[in-house]
Amino acid sequence: MGLDEERLENVRMLRESAAAVADRNDLSRPRALRFRQPGFDRETWRQMAELGWLGLRLPEERGGAGLGMAELIALAEEMGAALAPEPYVSGLMAMEMLDGAPLEAALTGERIILAAWQEKPRQLDDDDLETSFVAGRVSGRKLHVPMAAGADAFAVTTQQGVAIVDSKDPGLTIAVTGAQDGGHWGTLTFEGARGEPGRTPRDGWLDEAVLATAATLLGIVDTALERTVEYLNVRQQFGVKIGTFQGLQHRAVDLKQQALLTRSSVEDAAAIMDAGAGPAAKAAASRAKARASDAALIVTRQAIQLHGGIGYTDEHDIGLFLRKAMVLAPSLGDPALHRSRFARFQTLAAADGKEGLPA
Amino acid sequence: MSASRYTLDDYNALSDDAFRALVRDFLGECHPSGLRNPVKRLHWAEVKPWYMELSKYGWLAPNWPKQYGGMGLSASKQLIYVEEFESFGAARTPDHGMMLFGPLLIRYGSEKQKAHFLPKILSGEHIWCQGYSEPNAGSDLASLRTQAVLDGDEWVINGQKTWTTLGGDADWIFMLVRTDPAAKKQEGISFLLVPMKSKGVSVKPIVNLDLQDEFSEVFFDDVRVPKANLVGELNKGWSMAKALLGFERIFLGSPRQSAHAFARLKGLAQHYGVWDDPVFRDRYNQLWLDLEDHKALYERFADTLRRGETLGADVSLLKLNQSELYQRISEFMLQIAGEDGGRLEPVDGNADLHAPGIFLTARAATIYGGASEVQRNIIAKNVLRLP
Repeated sequence: MGLDEERLENVRMLRESAAAVADRNDLSRPRALRFRQPGFDRETWRQMAELGWLGLRLPEERGGAGLGMAELIALAEEMGAALAPEPYVSGLMAMEMLDGAPLEAALTGERIILAAWQEKPRQLDDDDLETSFVAGRVSGRKLHVPMAAGADAFAVTTQQGVAIVDSKDPGLTIAVTGAQDGGHWGTLTFEGARGEPGRTPRDGWLDEAVLATAATLLGIVDTALERTVEYLNVRQQFGVKIGTFQGLQHRAVDLKQQALLTRSSVEDAAAIMDAGAGPAAKAAASRAKARASDAALIVTRQAIQLHGGIGYTDEHDIGLFLRKAMVLAPSLGDPALHRSRFARFQTLAAADGKEGLPA
Repeated sequence: MSASRYTLDDYNALSDDAFRALVRDFLGECHPSGLRNPVKRLHWAEVKPWYMELSKYGWLAPNWPKQYGGMGLSASKQLIYVEEFESFGAARTPDHGMMLFGPLLIRYGSEKQKAHFLPKILSGEHIWCQGYSEPNAGSDLASLRTQAVLDGDEWVINGQKTWTTLGGDADWIFMLVRTDPAAKKQEGISFLLVPMKSKGVSVKPIVNLDLQDEFSEVFFDDVRVPKANLVGELNKGWSMAKALLGFERIFLGSPRQSAHAFARLKGLAQHYGVWDDPVFRDRYNQLWLDLEDHKALYERFADTLRRGETLGADVSLLKLNQSELYQRISEFMLQIAGEDGGRLEPVDGNADLHAPGIFLTARAATIYGGASEVQRNIIAKNVLRLP
């Protein structure tokens, strides 16, 4: 199932513009932004907005580009390959919950608005929300908002629909937890914070964020492997390039297998999701995220091992991929959650007579 | 050395149980409570009180003979000593002087060298570090290039060492240098002793993947030391270093790291509410069994030592198994932690719950002390005798 010419061109252009914003061959920018706040670059965010990335999935009548999941995963993959610290997926999720002036300000990058949806650890589906939005006031707690310290506002899911809350609102407290990749996440406590009503997100919006995260991990997998293979071709021990050792060749091949499985799973999921929302799309997103999360940790761990001592230094860039994988692999659902979610929705899809279990 | 019930003429005369009880009492009474179970390798300034306490009772060097100020423990008593220190969570001191350099000097050093250096290790006057690995000589250690050239009565040293543990804390370094560039690579290597304060020595700390800094790079730029700082025979350093590797491998093969990580699994599972989950429990039991089997494997090698025999190349299996088990446990911990697996600092400041910290630290175990790949080569060649 391939993309048509027009969409292939979209993907090519997106990848090209991504390389200009977040260069996978130069990690000095993400390295320099580590372990400080806000941990990403506002100017880069504005550039991303100008390129239309934040509105990538929005229909044209809402000011977006109306592109599909195949385009989104290409972009997310580039962000992963370049270890871009900007909270792109969270920003993308927020877009689904905005309307009117807040949407406009977010689309231009003038205001950074991030999604605050998760209430429990290891949670994905957003039923049973406890956060409330009554008489214009928001109360409740939201977890794991990436790079929350750099946000101007949050799009908050509540029992009564979406509320937009300014980050400086006196009724909002943001507790920041440092992350291994040098970024952070915020725990947001709302105690009667002033909220403006937002828009109810489209069905399947969480699955799109899940797949975008899987694609980010795919970028990490491929780049970490590419850099490792390069190292095997350069590093000499015992008078030869270590890539000549069969044991290491076989290991590199095992990693390539994981990388290609991840790519297949992610691209297949994008095609299924582009064909329409529903249980089959949810199953596919979960399948891709489970694979990408596992593969990312396998590949980045082995990347350290194959680099040997130098891989265990913070100075060498290969470790940055492992640290990013440690943060993204459990984010928006860990592999165990997604495996069981896959089984549930794949069974449902089969009952619908669409994608099915093997007979 | 103070007279005390902990300072005996012959520890080996005690039964194993009595000795074990003595070690426990000693740790309970003498170990500074604030230094127990440290989350990282402590620097000299932090761990000095404990070192000096060990020094005071003559407990620093369990493996050295009595005549040199050690405890003179038999192999089985040494294992008890190590086991009790580990299970108590005693802070590790800068122990390269006791563990590696002391035995080297006792075996190969001159009487003059022994009389000069050994007491200073025991008194805490000299802290030693090790100069083996180089940027281009890691797994292939014998390809090391740091050079020492004799100029009159002095060696002139140029080159670079890396992965030197606590290099910034040390007063002296015992190092492997190339003294005959024309010889076959294993044959032109010698052992030299160099004061870290020498002109031309500089130390640069390495920040690890786990963001700790116990290792350093050490640079040598026309460093001069007296000719007499050579240990043993010229150009025989490689075989001397190899003789010490068996000890390093049983030390690195000890179950302590795996046991330490495994002991934290239950608390972690309870914290994250998966302790009663059958899927968790099956994996937990599997690792438990792996750990018990590893302990049995360790005892096999320990028995060899107890019988006074030397370890064979198969001790590489022990190091391999330990380091990989330690990593499997740490990977499972990371899984259990969910989103907290990406945390930089421990949950509630509780180091026992810090899965990502243990996970990252464990990455090094299959790299240092001979990477797993090298251990597998050794086993294939020297144990299985494959062509």
